Amino acid sequence: MSEERKFICVSCPLGCGLTVTLDDSGEVTKVEGNTCARGESYARSEVKDPRRVFASTVRVKGGKLPVCPVRSKTPAPKGKLFDITRAVAALEVEAPIKIGQVLIHNVCGTDADIVASRDLEAV
Amino acid sequence: MSGKIDVLIIGAGPAGVAAGIGARREGAENVVVLERDWDLGGILQQCIHPGFGLRTFKEELTGPEYMHRFIKQAHEEGVEFRTNTMVFQIDRDTNTVWTMNKERGIEALNPSSIVLTMGCRERPLGAIRIPGGRPSGIYTAGTAQRFVNMEGYMPGKRAVILGSGDIGLIMARRMIWEGATVEGVYEVMSWPGGLRRNIAQCLDDYGIPFHLRTTVTKIHGQDRLEGVTVAEVDDKMTPIPGTERYVECDTLLLAIGLIPENELSRMAGVDIHPVTGGPVVNDLLQTTNPAIFAAGNVVIVYDLVDNVSDEGLIAGANAAKFALGKIPSTAKRIPVKGGENVRLYSPQFVTGKTDSIIFMRVTHPIEKACKVFATADGEEIYSQRLRYARPGEMNEVKIKADKVQNVNSITIDIQPV
Amino acid sequence: MNYDIVIIGSGITGASIARELSKYKLNIAVIDKASELPAGASRANSSMIHGGFDDKPGTMKAKFCVPGNKLWHKLKDVLDVHLDECGSYVCAFNDDEVKHLELLLEQGKTNGSPGVEIISGDKLREKEPNVSPDIVAALWSPEAGIINNFEAVNAMIESAQINGVKLFLETVATGLLLDDNGNVRGVSTTKGDFIAPVVINAGGVHAGEIASWAGDKSFKIIPTKGEYFLLDRSTKGFIHSFLFACPSKAGKGITVLQTAEGNLMSGPTATEQLDPEDRSTTPEGLAEVLKGARKLVPNFPVNMNITTFAGVRANTESGDFEIRTLKNPRGFVNAAGIKSPGFTSAPAIAEYVAGLVKEELADRVTLTPNDKFIPERHNIPRFLYLDMAERKKLAEKDPSYAQIVCRCETVTEGQVIEAIRRGARTVTAVKMMTRAGTGRCQGGFCCPRVAEILSRELGIPLEEVTRHGGESKLLVGKTKEFLLKKGAEA
Repeated sequence: MSEERKFICVSCPLGCGLTVTLDDSGEVTKVEGNTCARGESYARSEVKDPRRVFASTVRVKGGKLPVCPVRSKTPAPKGKLFDITRAVAALEVEAPIKIGQVLIHNVCGTDADIVASRDLEAV
Repeated sequence: MSGKIDVLIIGAGPAGVAAGIGARREGAENVVVLERDWDLGGILQQCIHPGFGLRTFKEELTGPEYMHRFIKQAHEEGVEFRTNTMVFQIDRDTNTVWTMNKERGIEALNPSSIVLTMGCRERPLGAIRIPGGRPSGIYTAGTAQRFVNMEGYMPGKRAVILGSGDIGLIMARRMIWEGATVEGVYEVMSWPGGLRRNIAQCLDDYGIPFHLRTTVTKIHGQDRLEGVTVAEVDDKMTPIPGTERYVECDTLLLAIGLIPENELSRMAGVDIHPVTGGPVVNDLLQTTNPAIFAAGNVVIVYDLVDNVSDEGLIAGANAAKFALGKIPSTAKRIPVKGGENVRLYSPQFVTGKTDSIIFMRVTHPIEKACKVFATADGEEIYSQRLRYARPGEMNEVKIKADKVQNVNSITIDIQPV
Repeated sequence: MNYDIVIIGSGITGASIARELSKYKLNIAVIDKASELPAGASRANSSMIHGGFDDKPGTMKAKFCVPGNKLWHKLKDVLDVHLDECGSYVCAFNDDEVKHLELLLEQGKTNGSPGVEIISGDKLREKEPNVSPDIVAALWSPEAGIINNFEAVNAMIESAQINGVKLFLETVATGLLLDDNGNVRGVSTTKGDFIAPVVINAGGVHAGEIASWAGDKSFKIIPTKGEYFLLDRSTKGFIHSFLFACPSKAGKGITVLQTAEGNLMSGPTATEQLDPEDRSTTPEGLAEVLKGARKLVPNFPVNMNITTFAGVRANTESGDFEIRTLKNPRGFVNAAGIKSPGFTSAPAIAEYVAGLVKEELADRVTLTPNDKFIPERHNIPRFLYLDMAERKKLAEKDPSYAQIVCRCETVTEGQVIEAIRRGARTVTAVKMMTRAGTGRCQGGFCCPRVAEILSRELGIPLEEVTRHGGESKLLVGKTKEFLLKKGAEA
């Protein structure tokens, strides 16, 4: 028995409707609806190891703003996102902060780093 | 820098920063961008989620990352920025721009050309007249976004979102990621206002209910918001009796649309288009005042920031040309008309001096193969197949200058095929 | 706390009485449950200064309306309040209504309303091209005007404060205190007892309840909701004055006006209700307003609407004001049932009430003229209306006037700081005093900025800043707090 799964591709603003066919062993046999290679790889990842880019803020000491935006440099496992929200919430960083600065390596045991997504001067 | 300003740009969001770059690259000497905030980047500084710049940079950046790259380029190009500087008046006869700044006080600037890049603002509650009380806890999604992402404060713990514009969808997820709950997103139309992928990754991922053809019909609470009544609507968008439901919440976020921000444009006396709400422009992004150009969401609300930056570059370059005396003030004006399913579009005039892109949104979604096309005096000059056309997304019509040299008017439309 | 006089309520009536009594050497307290002024019917009304033709001769309304109107034309300069001396029209659509105009004309003459005349529909349309072509005649009242009611109430109470009156906001009167002889000893409130031999009841929609504390059941307040549309200021000039339809049994009906600030406005409905505090708008009410607006002004540009609101006015069964001292308990004065033309009448009512206190309550307080009375009060500078030279001067003197906070109404940080210095404690108070947040974005842009300035100037955390006092906090806490709490629970 093969299985079909449908979802919206989130790789780009087009938001293509994807249909993924899986065989009995859960291997992807077909991806339809995508309009680019990105969609194909998103589809494959989404059925096996769904991931999302995480974006939030961290508390800042002595900065021009009280919080600094951060993101996961690479998509992080979807199932870990709530753990990541707490890990990021617990963090407080001292200004100045540089864009791209790694604030948490391999957050919550994933392979994703949390990095600053802007420069933030100290006051 | 001192001396006369060649190109003065109002607003250092994506359009304004790009306009600065465009103007410098075109050879304008003294290019100044005014920004009312202490920081450059405009609204994108609070859009901390990824989703920007895929077309320009081939990767998805967050708002601050996207602006970081452009601001860096602008500095390298020698664009001057003046922050904490607000324009509060433009005199229409002299094009004098009045600014205020705490250190410099009130100043009058008389540039050779002006680029309007003030962006847009959100439609407020008053625009939709919901009956009920006027408690605290009702914010536009963008105001809430600023509180959460820039100031570090939570507007509430339990939110309802009215309207499905992208900022509302993004804020739904953002509230969840801060430990708040989101009771649902309610959209009065039969289709979503924002991008499908944002429905998927901001609502579906977290099991947030999304209700089409449903709206908030009453606001409960006098001090702090206590709840809202929601109801389904009929084809005329009138609430259907008997479908009302009470939803408890302490926060109502509004994502009911964006309006170009044109107080200054009106003062400057440029014609404002009744449908777009932005200045009437030609393909040089020149308004009806030849010295004033406009780009980005101040003209028409775009869906992609890449387009805003592209338009900024064009407007900046043309403003520089004007300042350098390279644009004759009497350009041809070929009117562009919208077909049956065109809600709004820009530019509204084409000069034929340059290839151009007309951006347009449809009134009704077409969920099947269709084509976007342009005719000039009845003859097709552009056609492109699309898999669908949705009101939430901008479509492009590419006009080649050589196709419109001797035509009287251009019509654009999208129709099923 | 001992006073000579306590005034309950700081709407336009209480504020005007306070100012009038501050012309005497008296220790006066004004208490109001609101967090900012104006709050009740004085905030949400048509902002009309009536010509005085509408009130039946012999009523208190007729007695005070024309004198009140005259006083406002003087007070506008003394108190630095914006009054648009635009006049008003009552519009007639048929012969029956024209007959009614004639009646109003006579009434106006009897009441001493100057310059009232009937003009043709065409003459009206020369002045107001956007009114209905079906209007056949109109009653013109040149002395009518439209006031900035936010400014007026604040000006009145500020002037009283300049002359020594103490204002206590967020202070709810809970009962009347009587002495051993059963006469007035003061008012109990949520902030303690205010002791005074004279208590003046200017409690608006709550005046009936307050009077009942004194055992006075002679009148009943019927809370009557009025709903309104307020349109963007870019509608300025769509009409230039105040348009009434011909009055019916239901009241003066739906009007269309241009506010003193230039917004097009329409309302009110007149819906009796039990709850004096229910200021919610309703679909039925708004539909009624729109219908009424379109009758007078067919192309009423409702798409330019920026907010809807409702006020609750203090109607009475008698239909008239209820102003008098009580024989028992001695020391209690009603200034109650003040509804349209209440705002107009307020300064005249205040003079009358001061007279009552002087003549009828001389055994309780002595009214010695205060020779140090300062009549003038100056408004917070309105950047929007200053010319460029004045703006420059202001900005040079105080750089906070070179920072816009509210972009719709061009309100500067300097104005917000000055409002806080004058007593503003909430976002709405700043709005009432500076107009920040009254424009087309309805505070979307300036509310966070005003909140920040309040937090900074008052030295309170941003989370403590409220929209309009009470539980109306703008924010519920800092980001990360829920997550960390949840994390700790998990």
